Amino acid sequence: MDRREALRRVGVLMGGTVSMSVMSGVLGGCKAGPATAEFVPQTVNAAQNDLVTVIAELIIPETDTPGAKAARVNAFIDKMLTDWFKDDERAHFMAELATVDAKAQDAYDKPFLDLTPDEQTELLSAMEDEGIAWMEALGEGGADPEKPPFFNLIKQLTLAGYYTSEIGGSQELRDMPIGQYRGDVPFEEIGRAWS
Amino acid sequence: MVRKNVFVAQQAQEYDAIVVGSGITGGWAAKELTEKGLKTLLLERGRGVEHGTDYVTEHKKPWDFDYRGRGERELYETEYAVQQTCYAFDEATKQFFVNDKENPYTTDPDKPFLWIRGYHLGGRSLTWGRQCYRWSDLDFEANARDGYGVDWPIRYADIEPWYDYVESFAGISGQAEGLPQLPDGPFLPPMEMNAGEVFIKEGIEKAFPDRRMTIGRAAVLTQPHNGRAPCHYCGPCQRGCSTGSYFSSLSATLPAAEVTGNLTIRADSIVHSIIYDEEQGKATGVRVLDANTREEQEFYGKIIFLCASTLGTAQIMLNSTSNRFPNGFANDSGALGHYLMDHPYLAGATAEMPDLNDRYYVGNRPNGIYVPRFRNIQGGPQHPDFLRGYGYQGSASRPSWGRGTSMPGIGADFKRQLRDPGTWQMWIGGWGEHLPEYDNYVELDPDVTDAWGIPALRINCVWRDNEANMKKDMAEQAVAMLDAAGATNIQPFNIDAPPGFCIHEMGTARMGRDPETSVLNAHNQCHSVPNVFVTDGACMTSSACQNPSITYMALTARAAAFAVDELKKLNL
Repeated sequence: MDRREALRRVGVLMGGTVSMSVMSGVLGGCKAGPATAEFVPQTVNAAQNDLVTVIAELIIPETDTPGAKAARVNAFIDKMLTDWFKDDERAHFMAELATVDAKAQDAYDKPFLDLTPDEQTELLSAMEDEGIAWMEALGEGGADPEKPPFFNLIKQLTLAGYYTSEIGGSQELRDMPIGQYRGDVPFEEIGRAWS
Repeated sequence: MVRKNVFVAQQAQEYDAIVVGSGITGGWAAKELTEKGLKTLLLERGRGVEHGTDYVTEHKKPWDFDYRGRGERELYETEYAVQQTCYAFDEATKQFFVNDKENPYTTDPDKPFLWIRGYHLGGRSLTWGRQCYRWSDLDFEANARDGYGVDWPIRYADIEPWYDYVESFAGISGQAEGLPQLPDGPFLPPMEMNAGEVFIKEGIEKAFPDRRMTIGRAAVLTQPHNGRAPCHYCGPCQRGCSTGSYFSSLSATLPAAEVTGNLTIRADSIVHSIIYDEEQGKATGVRVLDANTREEQEFYGKIIFLCASTLGTAQIMLNSTSNRFPNGFANDSGALGHYLMDHPYLAGATAEMPDLNDRYYVGNRPNGIYVPRFRNIQGGPQHPDFLRGYGYQGSASRPSWGRGTSMPGIGADFKRQLRDPGTWQMWIGGWGEHLPEYDNYVELDPDVTDAWGIPALRINCVWRDNEANMKKDMAEQAVAMLDAAGATNIQPFNIDAPPGFCIHEMGTARMGRDPETSVLNAHNQCHSVPNVFVTDGACMTSSACQNPSITYMALTARAAAFAVDELKKLNL
């Protein structure tokens, strides 16, 4: 985290009461079109879009509320890659994305999308272990902060895309109502985190 | 929308009064002068903004934004490089911040200064933090006591009725505490502390009898007030508030000025300099550049109120040279541009309160808590490492999904975990006093001009040992208080932020008793040009540690009453 980002984060804290929607805004996002609109990815190709869609859904699956696929997290990620990522960051993401199938081939002799859901989860969890190791190395100055591994990138993008979507922000979590402030309410009365 | 034409209409050239700037103090000057019968021209360098209809992002959800709040990164990095460091800047508020490329200023590369600005009708009163804390004689006597800076020409008794006056109109919610170092006002009902804050308050006050934690005193209404509605707790005030629930020029002072029929607003009008008439020994008006056409015009007034913000006013005065004032307007003392101050901050601590996790809250309260100054109080012990003191602001909350990026896991269980809010967290951080120093100053850059050909400001400002030592104490005492309160996982922070970042810049045309060492007298009147008044932050003789806007408001109303009185006595 560079100094400006550190300042920015503390700045967000200092709003103190800044709504979580603002907080989530800080963490990034984009507007996916209406669910019925045909989505044409601008940066990833059709096969890569399928891969991103499946991995995002593995991270935030459909449960009793819709998951990442229904929230069109893949469209969000493509938009961020297209408009928000810098050229070198985009190139890094695409290179890391290509390692997913390579890892699937190594472990199972199949591309990722041909694995069973259990195999996909297992491989993704192994990639998370690499991501955690990278974070630890980063903390000790032994990793390049500009080059996070694929898992860290996709998890961050998936969470930002999902929880700032209408599904994530108002169905999975609760959208803060307007009109009152009560500072001490039993949690069970609300039941879920405010988005 | 029709009224927008007012902002660019042709206007008369002669007025009783000219007010430069439409932010917190310009709005007050316009209100007071027009209500006292003066035909007043209010000049705003930026665009016109219509209350309500121009708050185009109010109540939008994250999914309503193209980039869900984060905005156009490349544009921000290239044209809003300074502004984007501000906590209030994002995709929802960019329209209330200046384009840094069009509005340059310079610094020594080793001495950065962050100048956060909003050039539009209402200025930073649209985006301000709304915290309102009175000064006391602990503050007004500080310079005289320790010798830094010159003595203030006023004391609390001089400004107290004016605090009452502006607070009654603006509407300040808060809790009376009876503390001599932080006088109470005519408060509207206080906002509620949340469960986490109550926990910390009880712990601090039990362990430290000399320390108090109170709810923030905020210019946000908790009941209907002067035709404005109470807060509806949507959260991000800085997008603008169509119910006028927080005080701004657009919600409060300018509507009051407009009903008098004496107000003319001229937006897109950049004041280049003040016109000085040597024979009369006073200012006769201002030179204005149209922001769009660059056409130059002159407007004339019997009195002039400079309310262009601390550094904006300094820039105009430095750029207003004449035979009489070769070194800047009304600058016989050489103090013009000097003694620039901000507030050192971003030192404190965070902690957790896991025992409260069966409690939660409803609503986005646009306010936090305040711990009034307890260091170096008169009659109390004096800290060996620094002069003056600081107050804390902070708040408690429960984190939401954002913590998920640093939580291990994927899948249904992970999603279920993030459905619950995280553990209660409290943060407190100090806002400290900045000693007035001659070598913290602004000048006109000899080489750089803005898009309109006006010389850019060159800002020279650094923190010194007193501020650094104070910040160290802010972090240490934050840890001590959160620990005593029984919070866990206490983490101190002390972030190295450049001056300006607190957006409390003040000084550069200080008030004082002696014309040889100050620019303004006890009535914010230029010692050497009696019909020109400076009532924005430029007038400040010291910085205290309180958020300054309410003091600027009180000084403006006080100066306006004096100016009209003098005008009637034919003294101006």
